[in-house]
Amino acid sequence: MSPLPADGSRLRWLVVAAVACLTGCGGSQVIVEAAFPTPLIEPLPVSMGIIIPDELYNFIYTEDIPDQSLWTIALGDANVAMLGPLFKGMFRQTRDVESLARVAGDTSLDGVIEPKLEKFEFDVPNGERDEFVEVWLQYQITVYEPNGGTVIQWPVSGYGKSELLRDPEDAVQRAAIVAMREAGATISTKFSEQPQVKAWLGGIGNAAPNVGAQAAVGEPVADEAGTLE
Amino acid sequence: MTRLRFIGLAAALPLIGACGITSRIEPYKQTDAVIAKGEHVVVLARRQHSTHEAEEEFVQCISDGLANGKNGLDVHSSKDFEDKMYPWFEPSTAPLSTEDLSTLLDRPGVLEQVESTGVRYVVWLDGSTDRVASGGGITCAAGVGGAGCMGLAWWEDDSRYDATVWDIKEIESEGTIYADVKGRSVMPAIIIPIPLVTRPQAHACRDLTDQLRQFLTSPEGYPSPGSPPPPAGDVG
Repeated sequence: MSPLPADGSRLRWLVVAAVACLTGCGGSQVIVEAAFPTPLIEPLPVSMGIIIPDELYNFIYTEDIPDQSLWTIALGDANVAMLGPLFKGMFRQTRDVESLARVAGDTSLDGVIEPKLEKFEFDVPNGERDEFVEVWLQYQITVYEPNGGTVIQWPVSGYGKSELLRDPEDAVQRAAIVAMREAGATISTKFSEQPQVKAWLGGIGNAAPNVGAQAAVGEPVADEAGTLE
Repeated sequence: MTRLRFIGLAAALPLIGACGITSRIEPYKQTDAVIAKGEHVVVLARRQHSTHEAEEEFVQCISDGLANGKNGLDVHSSKDFEDKMYPWFEPSTAPLSTEDLSTLLDRPGVLEQVESTGVRYVVWLDGSTDRVASGGGITCAAGVGGAGCMGLAWWEDDSRYDATVWDIKEIESEGTIYADVKGRSVMPAIIIPIPLVTRPQAHACRDLTDQLRQFLTSPEGYPSPGSPPPPAGDVG
């Protein structure tokens, strides 16, 4: 559930405009907005709670680039637009939860997943030879057991580049979307390959055979120490 | 007056001659498959390289070129295809070989999704247009009596692309078309700059589109005897 009102996008524009005005009403403002597809993958047979922290909803990156301008890049809307369909496609059942404490002991959930955007970097070329705007970002994906134990803390990076044509803001937006799609692709295709996740899925399978059977098909299962059986 | 015209013509001819396009197209088709009615083609850019990638407008130009005209093919939107196949055609996950494609199609739901799009052929575009040389110079000045420029600038752009065609139904590569189009532009300035600009990328798009159409519609991949040959050679 979003902590922002329904017109959160408008609020985000106001925040970006306020930041820009406080710094001299100049600079470049980008609000990354896009529709992201649901991944074409077989969902894992688990029921997951999803925590989207406020920082992710309201993520705004600012950087004053020497000899260029102050850049303000808002990724909040795009984070929600990307991660929502992504998690719904990855897991058999999902439910938005506000915090880990709220689901302590909830037996209807197999786990809780919480993404954070830890790092964001970008580069806008100013030399004639450079043709691409580049964006690099890193999410931290944390999976908890319902009792609060951490299953995995998994850093996932995404890189995107976009041809710099007339409008640098547009190029940054397109590069950011490519980077986010890349990160989403890694999360959706590599999540179940992580040794800790395999062990966790195996544990769920032992507790409830009808849940674990599908997850274990053809997959080696790691024990708690992370060694493959 | 006649002498003036002669001098003007003599000065203009080398400049116009220096401006031109050289085009080389090399098709290589290794099967005799052709596109059937109801089958679609999608044009995608290879985006694995760190230094270059086929420009979005070039991909769109090829897609539009194949779809338009009296022999227009059914072309699926690149963006829509990538969205429907997400996350399997992103830069880090896209199949690099037909073996990778075979592995991908074995994944649950992937083959069914491809079939739902109607796409049988994937055209992978690789390459870019780069400035390979430039020189000369133009000097401009302004005064009370007026303003003007004098000099000559020139530049050369090289559009190098290859289009590799995959048959998703047969899980095989149909072949590749290489295109190398060089364009030399000049801008003389006698009072005012006069740009004589060539557009090798637009030329490469046109040539590659024509050749791809032949590739997808004729078993040999090039025009049968009697029909005009594909564009090649110095056409500047």
